[in-house]
Amino acid sequence: MHKQTQLDLAFAALADPTRRAILARLSQGEATVSELSRPFGLRQPTISKHLRVLEDAGFIRQGRDAQRRPRQLVVGGPLKDVDGWIRPFREQWEGRFDNLDSYLKKMNKPKK
Amino acid sequence: MLNDEKTKTTIDRDTLTITFQRKFGAPCEHVFAAWTEPEHMKHWWDPTGLPLSECVIDLRPGGGFKFTNRDSAHSPPFTGVYRLVERPSQLVFEAMGAVGTVRLESKDGATHMTVSIRCASAEHLDQFLKLGVDVNTDRTFDHLVDYLRKSAR
Repeated sequence: MHKQTQLDLAFAALADPTRRAILARLSQGEATVSELSRPFGLRQPTISKHLRVLEDAGFIRQGRDAQRRPRQLVVGGPLKDVDGWIRPFREQWEGRFDNLDSYLKKMNKPKK
Repeated sequence: MLNDEKTKTTIDRDTLTITFQRKFGAPCEHVFAAWTEPEHMKHWWDPTGLPLSECVIDLRPGGGFKFTNRDSAHSPPFTGVYRLVERPSQLVFEAMGAVGTVRLESKDGATHMTVSIRCASAEHLDQFLKLGVDVNTDRTFDHLVDYLRKSAR
């Protein structure tokens, strides 16, 4: 029951491209609000709002430094759950399309 | 979610649609043929890369298809019915309660393919996802099933 609510939040959080980009950035290491606002060209309050959504969904948390208050990715957080759902199915189709890609390359070459 | 992926996968949980996007360096006609002619289809459909042991295609609206993997113990044959055949840009079929659409668009000498699978219900999406799960079913998958059942109400 609780898990479903969390996954609901997770999907809602991932629906926004800026938040996905923030997650991608944080996957490379923790960052403060001001460090995040620069590359995204967004004002700090806007970034903070996105961070709140990500935090509520369990994707990120505040780091140890109380002064700088950096945000960091939660290892094994909802990202893993979401990925775990999608992965087997996605890999099956990706495998198929990889095959199709190599097959099409063969088709392009005249046989005789 | 990452830009460097060859296949872009999107899941829309509201419409229960899974979408794959992929670009091929081949003309639409070739990609369409690869989807609709047994002698081509049988070489790529099985994700393991093995040729299909059986590939039957009756390409017309209402016509059926059947793709059987060599290792059929692990996955049952994929069967369905074509709904729309528009060479070389669109193919719509129904299989296992879901509607599959293949769209091919020619752009800059390449073919942009969009494959979407729209499930009729959460249970159907569940079924489709299960097809991809072979041995490594883990706990997280159960969460998906629970979740989708819930959200369909």
